[in-house]
Amino acid sequence: MNRFREPLFVLLLVFFLQSCAGWAKNKDYHPFDASGLDKLIPGKSTATQVTEMLGAPSEIVKLSNGNAYIYRRSLSKGTGLWLLIVSFGNYDKHYDQIVIFFDKKNTMTHYGVTLDAHKAAYGLPF
Amino acid sequence: MVSPFKVFPFLVYSFLVGSLITGCVSYRVIKVVEGRSVSNIFEEFRVGATTLKEALETLGAPDQVAELEGKDVLIYRRSLLSNSGLSFGIPLTDIWGPGFDFSAYGELVRYDLLLLSFTPEGILSEIASAKGSRYPYFKTILSD
Repeated sequence: MNRFREPLFVLLLVFFLQSCAGWAKNKDYHPFDASGLDKLIPGKSTATQVTEMLGAPSEIVKLSNGNAYIYRRSLSKGTGLWLLIVSFGNYDKHYDQIVIFFDKKNTMTHYGVTLDAHKAAYGLPF
Repeated sequence: MVSPFKVFPFLVYSFLVGSLITGCVSYRVIKVVEGRSVSNIFEEFRVGATTLKEALETLGAPDQVAELEGKDVLIYRRSLLSNSGLSFGIPLTDIWGPGFDFSAYGELVRYDLLLLSFTPEGILSEIASAKGSRYPYFKTILSD
């Protein structure tokens, strides 16, 4: 058993001497605040009120009975690990999104909210 | 002269083993996930009954909105990219000239998708979904 100790130690030493790790974080940031959304009333709030509250949308889509304003931002977290001959990379991207639907008179009819950007996480690919 | 193997055995072995192994074989695994998981809503949603308001309350904001043939389409999407690569080579360039190198790489992007189509009145008219992530990486990438 002792004769394996030295090669094993050498292998472990090599493993750690030639290893490295890295982390990265990317933000596609738009400064909208979703906390005031409950002040918007379907059937009453207008597109002007929405843009006053949330700012300019990231995207506007024409729909069959009006428009949809889309507000979107993202957070990505990346992890890299290099262990001698094996390397691992993981990249996790999540979004905060608000989609607000307006009728042809620019009155808000519905909205959907997903606030998931905080769920982006560092990690390994398994 | 005293052999360096006797004076600094660990350092010499480390250098030799490290140089040989890192020059010969490498394997990499990369995963990229974008978006949240897509719910299975077939038991919850009913064509002709579920409204746009209910869908938005249940699923949140869609990743894409579009008008298609007079209907409003919401798309929920999650993508999963898997990449792996194996490289094997013997770096003989300095002592011999030509070297030997073999490498194999594969990249697979799978999508979980949910498409909901609504009438202009906001009633669900069509559901379509695909669960690409249930397909295993190696079996899928090696198939034709």
